[in-house]
Amino acid sequence: MHEIIRRLDESRAAARLGGGQRRIDAQHAKGKLSARERIELLLDEGSFEEWDMFKEHRCTDFGMADAEKIPGDGVVTGYGTVNGRLVFVFSQDFTVFGGSLSETHAQKICKVMDHALKVGAPVIGLNDSGGARIQEGVDSLGGYADVFQRNVMASGVIPQISMIMGPCAGGAVYSPSMTDFIFMVKDSSYMFVTGPEVVKTVTHEEVTAEELGGAVTHTSKSGVADLAFENDVEALGMLRRFIDFLPLSNREKAPVRPTTDLADRMDESLDTLVPSNPNQPYDMKELITKVVDEGDFFELQPDYAKNIVIGFGRMEGQTVGIVANQPLVLAGCLDIKSSIKAARFVRFCDAFNIPVVTFVDVPGFMPGTAQEYGGIIKHGAKLLYAYAECTVPKITVITRKAYGGAYDVMSSKHLRGDVNLAWPTAEIAVMGPKGAVEIIFREEKNDPEKIAKREAEYKEKFANPFVAAHRGFIDDVIMPHATRKRICRSLAMLRDKQLENPWRKHGNIPL
Amino acid sequence: MFKKILIANRGEIACRVIKTARKMGIKTVAVYSEADKDALHVDLADEAVCIGPAASKESYLVMDKIIAACKQTGAEAVHPGYGFLSENEAFSRRLEEEGIVFIGPKHYSVAKMGDKIESKKLAKAAGVSTIPGYNDAIAGPEQAVEIAKGIGYPVMIKASAGGGGKGLRVAFNDQEAFEGFASCQNEARNSFGDDRVFIEKFVEEPRHIEIQVLADAHGNTLYLHERECSIQRRHQKVIEEAPSPFLDPATRKAMGEQAVALAKAVEYQSAGTVEFVVGKDKSFYFLEMNTRLQVEHPVTEFITGLDLVEQMIRVAAGEKLSFTQEQIPLKGWAMECRINAEDPFRGFLPSTGRLVRFQPPAEVEGAVRVDTGVYDGGEISMFYDSMIAKLITHGADRDQAIARMREALDAFLIRGISSNIPFQAALMQHPRFVSGNFNTGFIAEEYPKGFDASMVPHDDPALFVAVAAAMHRAYQDRAAQISGQMPGHERVVKDDYIVIRGEERCPVTVVPAAEGYAVSHRGETYALRTRWKFGELLFAGSLNGKPFTMQVERAGLKYRLSHAGSQAVCMVMSVSAAALQALMPVKLPPDLSKFLLSPMPGLLREVAVSEGQEVKAGEKLAVIEAMKMENVLKAEQDGKVRKVVASPGASLAVDEVIIEFE
Repeated sequence: MHEIIRRLDESRAAARLGGGQRRIDAQHAKGKLSARERIELLLDEGSFEEWDMFKEHRCTDFGMADAEKIPGDGVVTGYGTVNGRLVFVFSQDFTVFGGSLSETHAQKICKVMDHALKVGAPVIGLNDSGGARIQEGVDSLGGYADVFQRNVMASGVIPQISMIMGPCAGGAVYSPSMTDFIFMVKDSSYMFVTGPEVVKTVTHEEVTAEELGGAVTHTSKSGVADLAFENDVEALGMLRRFIDFLPLSNREKAPVRPTTDLADRMDESLDTLVPSNPNQPYDMKELITKVVDEGDFFELQPDYAKNIVIGFGRMEGQTVGIVANQPLVLAGCLDIKSSIKAARFVRFCDAFNIPVVTFVDVPGFMPGTAQEYGGIIKHGAKLLYAYAECTVPKITVITRKAYGGAYDVMSSKHLRGDVNLAWPTAEIAVMGPKGAVEIIFREEKNDPEKIAKREAEYKEKFANPFVAAHRGFIDDVIMPHATRKRICRSLAMLRDKQLENPWRKHGNIPL
Repeated sequence: MFKKILIANRGEIACRVIKTARKMGIKTVAVYSEADKDALHVDLADEAVCIGPAASKESYLVMDKIIAACKQTGAEAVHPGYGFLSENEAFSRRLEEEGIVFIGPKHYSVAKMGDKIESKKLAKAAGVSTIPGYNDAIAGPEQAVEIAKGIGYPVMIKASAGGGGKGLRVAFNDQEAFEGFASCQNEARNSFGDDRVFIEKFVEEPRHIEIQVLADAHGNTLYLHERECSIQRRHQKVIEEAPSPFLDPATRKAMGEQAVALAKAVEYQSAGTVEFVVGKDKSFYFLEMNTRLQVEHPVTEFITGLDLVEQMIRVAAGEKLSFTQEQIPLKGWAMECRINAEDPFRGFLPSTGRLVRFQPPAEVEGAVRVDTGVYDGGEISMFYDSMIAKLITHGADRDQAIARMREALDAFLIRGISSNIPFQAALMQHPRFVSGNFNTGFIAEEYPKGFDASMVPHDDPALFVAVAAAMHRAYQDRAAQISGQMPGHERVVKDDYIVIRGEERCPVTVVPAAEGYAVSHRGETYALRTRWKFGELLFAGSLNGKPFTMQVERAGLKYRLSHAGSQAVCMVMSVSAAALQALMPVKLPPDLSKFLLSPMPGLLREVAVSEGQEVKAGEKLAVIEAMKMENVLKAEQDGKVRKVVASPGASLAVDEVIIEFE
């Protein structure tokens, strides 16, 4: 017995050191924390229960038989709590064989994923891996695929979050890519399918790893990552805050926590938010921060497709997903990137019972060959599909323009919007007065006087919320200062909303 | 008394006049430009008339439009406020011809004081002390010495054609006068091709002190004591106070009597101001007379208890002043800070745009007054003056007035645009300002290279530590109340934290206590009481019984705090997390001299250079359109363009990169 305990203690000590103090120091020197330190920052103090600490690889090829076996085999797995709520976690250990994924390493990840799915709790991956363990060959590849399969099975059932904290290249990128959110750490993480050397050989492009797949690239150019953080400590601290917005699984409602912000708080300054000149932009984020609880808005993808804003906030303590056109950028129009960005977010909210609040100021879809050749038809349809399919409570507030097909798309009444409200400044029409008049009264287009009169007529008729309200497409016209109160009451009314789509194996979203 | 008056002005002064008129039962008419249609003064007035486009010279400065607005609305009198048409002789003459009363002095008084040379002669004749000087040709250094002796040392010898400090000498004795004249003449000849030189009394450590006068149409002329306006930035007044910390009763009386004599000499009526420069020996000299209501009149109102606008209206209506010189009190001390829409951290560049938050401190009768013409959610346009509010405090003595000003500045919340509040708060903390030992050179001497927040140390850094710790604890306690926790394994919030502020790490213990938290730090326990709620930008409370208001913002893991002109960015972590935080690399901010950054939010109209191009300092790089104004960005130094990051048509945020240099 004593002997066993002695050996156990030794094994634990060895496992805790991972690849050894020297490698841990090297990791620190790169500004990165060790796998265990990261878990310590992520979870509530003392809440981590580790599994498979003694698991070792079974590879014997290419000198692996003689190589030192490090208990844990390059990944630390288990469960713990974030603000008392259960989460499963795996944290790759770069100090052990460069965090490379072996068969046993993959098995450890699969074990926590299986449990997470069984009990209904999120899986958080802290990725820091050099890739497949090449010595293992196909065993390692099989390990990846086992993880991929579980990512897909868990999708829409439990939230999956990837925090990229080091290299993540080749096949390894496909596990994070199938999770719900990808976060990255600036200057120390990168993701790409093929690295700079291969790129140079094949396409003769010279590019650094940072430029090819760094945090800035993926949060501003590719849209692969949702947020970039300055360092490990900030990343994990903010990840804790992010998890507080999510339900643990699709069996639960969005979490609630107490707030001191009153549901009927009025904000008179919103009455002057929309400028009198319809072509003058304004910052939609001001509306969002003035409406949500405590001004606390957790924005996602803030540097990508900035013409649409997505993120989480709370109303009366409960999480809501927010989607808003941003008139400050490209007049808030919908294009390929913004449609995809918002569509994926709406589907996440729908999968996890998070009500969606949509703020609309959209002049239409972005015109141009770049958009048409890029397939705006199919990509724009993704957002339409996502909203139409969505059964969670949907509240829509039209602040200004809601033109054309984009009006339909943005959570309109016709797509089963539950409560559709409009500010007095709302204009719901097929297009702006100028364009409309040029088409309807084509024969008068050489008579500027007549055209001006027609334009005024069109404006009079459509540049207001009344036509839509007469038809019931708008439930009410509200004063901007009362927006928070009206949304809170609508959400309260919808708390027990029941709506189901017909049974099917799955829909066929225009991918 | 008038039944209806028109206010030919905008902004805070229009609102302030409307308030008094309303108190007196007089109806008001506002005029406004198209840019001001949603302005506060339009909202406050009983009636409002649009008088044209945004540009002042097409609206607020057009006499015909003002007169038409009077006729249209039946206004019997016009209050001009300050600026615009307030000192325009022709305007007051025109009104008189139209049978409309000008609430201000008669046009002949305005005319006489409007001319700088004429007004000085008039002042001299009225027995007002003027700066002794000699303006005629000087034969040679010997004569210069004679003249200097006559004026009395020190004297200033200056090239007539010179500007700024060029060709200027100060002489304290005969020898310096002799040599100074010769070298000044030489320099003048070489630099300007004009060797004329003049000599004038040099006022050492000059202070700007002005006397408020008030006169009726019946020959009663009184002085309402002085105001000191020495705190100036590039000749713009920043802080004004009454009384002056420099004057003694005898000097006050002498200056007051001279001011009254001057006013009488020009048959002045209504409120006016006689400006003096006062040397360190308390000698004072007339500068000019302002024949209008001054921006800084509220400090006089606080110490005298009078409403100057009311007095102006009564005088204009022909009433007699109802008090005598002896009945004018001088009670306590008043201080005014001008709140400007400008960025003190960027060379005081004007800041325009939407007032995302505008929440002035609460007014307190006899202690705190806020004069403003803007509101929460309003717009600051580029067409007019950058002053958006005046904060005025009053106390039993100067210290109390300053203390109240500090509190009021701390509680003044402005978001969306930049304001000079941090600078004002820093001035209120400045030992030299507090001591009263300053002159008009104060800001230039103390902030020769501009202003930045790190210049303002806080007198009690423990306050920042305590607030950051308490806020963090409050957020932790609340996070621990989220639904869906593992039963029996709920989050337990710890009491020990490290507050990280820059290089400094302060271990603290935070425990909930009565109405707040008890924060222990370096062996001392601070009782922090507060009713602050999550998300509020003002953290009002008391530390060990001492009340304070701090502006707070939670951004990511950081708490950004500002108080009394001082700023702190803190992070609060558990002891173990803080140890790991110490391992994080210090990321140096990028060398911004290698970038052209957008100085304001706007639309990128044009990029004038291409990649690889060599540029010279002063060359046009890009054009940004903001608030319908084109702003040309020029190269600050020679360099080569590495990359054009933003393309024309892009909407830029502040500090967004436009061009990268090699």
